[in-house]
Amino acid sequence: MISAKGLSKKFEDTLAVDNLDLDIPEGQFFGLLGPNGSGKTTTIHMLSTLSLPTSGQITIDGVDVLRKPIVVRKNIGLVFQESALDRTMTVYENLSFSAALYGIPRRTADDRINSLLKLFDLSDKKRSPVARLSGGMRRAVDLIRGVLHQPKILFLDEPTVGLDLPSRRKIWRFVQQLIAEEKLTVILTTHYLEEATPCDRVCFIRKGKAVELGAPRELIDRLGDDIFEIESEKPEEVVNLLGLKNSEYIVDSNALLIRSDRDPTFDEIRKRLAGHQSKILVRKTNLNDVFLWISSSGDLTT
Amino acid sequence: MIRALSAVMARELRKTIRQKSRLLASTVRPLIWLFIIGGGIGSITENQQPGSYQEFIIPGILGMTLLFGAMLSALTTVYDKESGVMRMMVIAPLPSYWISLSKMLSATIAGMIQGFILCIILVISGLTGLSQLASVEFVAAVTLTALACSGLGMLTAAISKSLDNFAAIMNFVIFPVFFLSGALYPISTLPAEIQWITIINPFTYGVDLLKHAAHTGSGHSVDFSMMLDCIILALFTIFALAISSWQFGRESTRSTLIGTLTRAKN
Repeated sequence: MISAKGLSKKFEDTLAVDNLDLDIPEGQFFGLLGPNGSGKTTTIHMLSTLSLPTSGQITIDGVDVLRKPIVVRKNIGLVFQESALDRTMTVYENLSFSAALYGIPRRTADDRINSLLKLFDLSDKKRSPVARLSGGMRRAVDLIRGVLHQPKILFLDEPTVGLDLPSRRKIWRFVQQLIAEEKLTVILTTHYLEEATPCDRVCFIRKGKAVELGAPRELIDRLGDDIFEIESEKPEEVVNLLGLKNSEYIVDSNALLIRSDRDPTFDEIRKRLAGHQSKILVRKTNLNDVFLWISSSGDLTT
Repeated sequence: MIRALSAVMARELRKTIRQKSRLLASTVRPLIWLFIIGGGIGSITENQQPGSYQEFIIPGILGMTLLFGAMLSALTTVYDKESGVMRMMVIAPLPSYWISLSKMLSATIAGMIQGFILCIILVISGLTGLSQLASVEFVAAVTLTALACSGLGMLTAAISKSLDNFAAIMNFVIFPVFFLSGALYPISTLPAEIQWITIINPFTYGVDLLKHAAHTGSGHSVDFSMMLDCIILALFTIFALAISSWQFGRESTRSTLIGTLTRAKN
């Protein structure tokens, strides 16, 4: 469905995306993850025709993105961190305006708007100005805008940023429903790593390069089943007590994270920390740990 | 693409009518000029000119209304970058010149609405007769002038990086364009050094065309032929559209537009 080869983007002196290859089959829910400034958004912009790569090739559904951006735009839907809605217009006016930009006939557009509003439980807000909606509802309307023209691919760039937890959950329920009903291919970037867990495949990028690619479960497994989390006011002290080397731990605010598949073992840790004021936790590895490990050391092997 | 264009224009129409205070301001502004300036200066120049001064400046004031309406609306492109509508337009499956074109056409509509409101007031107040304005010629002149004014706005939006505040644009673009145009005085009476500025000012030809088309007392003070006015206005509009769409199609301009789509500096 989406294929990118040797994708690079240079901004003056910095290489934001560095020779990136991506291959995303139809119907996949794909997550593009990485720390701030890793090149996620730049990559999404290049894939979605909004920005030109310095070098490389992209095809979407067999169409060359660089040669025929307008054809590609008909097949993709875009939802960004910043809402693409006019706050002074009503929900219906916004959606109907967007439908017109895609050349959807009025009657088809109206039917589609009504059914999507119903799906998202927003039918009673049809005539409300966007400014009067809650943040979560506004994002839902943005999501409807993104899929109005029945795209084959939906790009979600940090779709839930700035929303409270219930709203985020609701948005994700909508996304899941859309994926199921419209058989969409979805490309997601997010800061909330737990949101990427339902992805079929995720790609972690760091400094514009793909560092890890795989199913979330698979990546988590590579880090080992469990993580030892040692809570302490002074993580450095614990590091010294345990005699850990640089690559063997990660400090995440007041917690020290240690892989369970490497030395030292749990018993060893307990022995060495005997009498020290700290709390040791054994918990399941999650995608956030994968993210932390990649952000700090570059990959999962060291 | 027609459906998209009509949607953009319908939206502008609705917005212009909805923004009551803006509409009121644009209605009152020409009246101040017409009655206070026109009446005041008119009382000095009385008996020196055939026809009253107030009558003379009607096409100029109408031109001013179109200039403010269309140009300011087109100029909002500069400020629109943060708005959701611009985002919708940037990602739409349409060629890059489309943003300039739709913006220009909707600015033209905004200007024309304000222009026609002024016409209604002129007719009601008895300054002009309905028959003087109700002609195909007049509507065409208003349209062409409004188009050129929106082009002026787009061009300013496209080429100016420093003109990012309203006052600067007022002082350095709108006022010179208005004052150096023949809207308030016949060009032939201006000193030679200033005359050549009016000749390169496209708005001059809009005012001149309006003088031709609105059969008011100023018909005899035209400076150019109607054909020349039309040709220059049309050429200028096409030029403005070409330059602004080239500018908006450029990666550097587009990336700032797109940059606002996602606040994260990635």
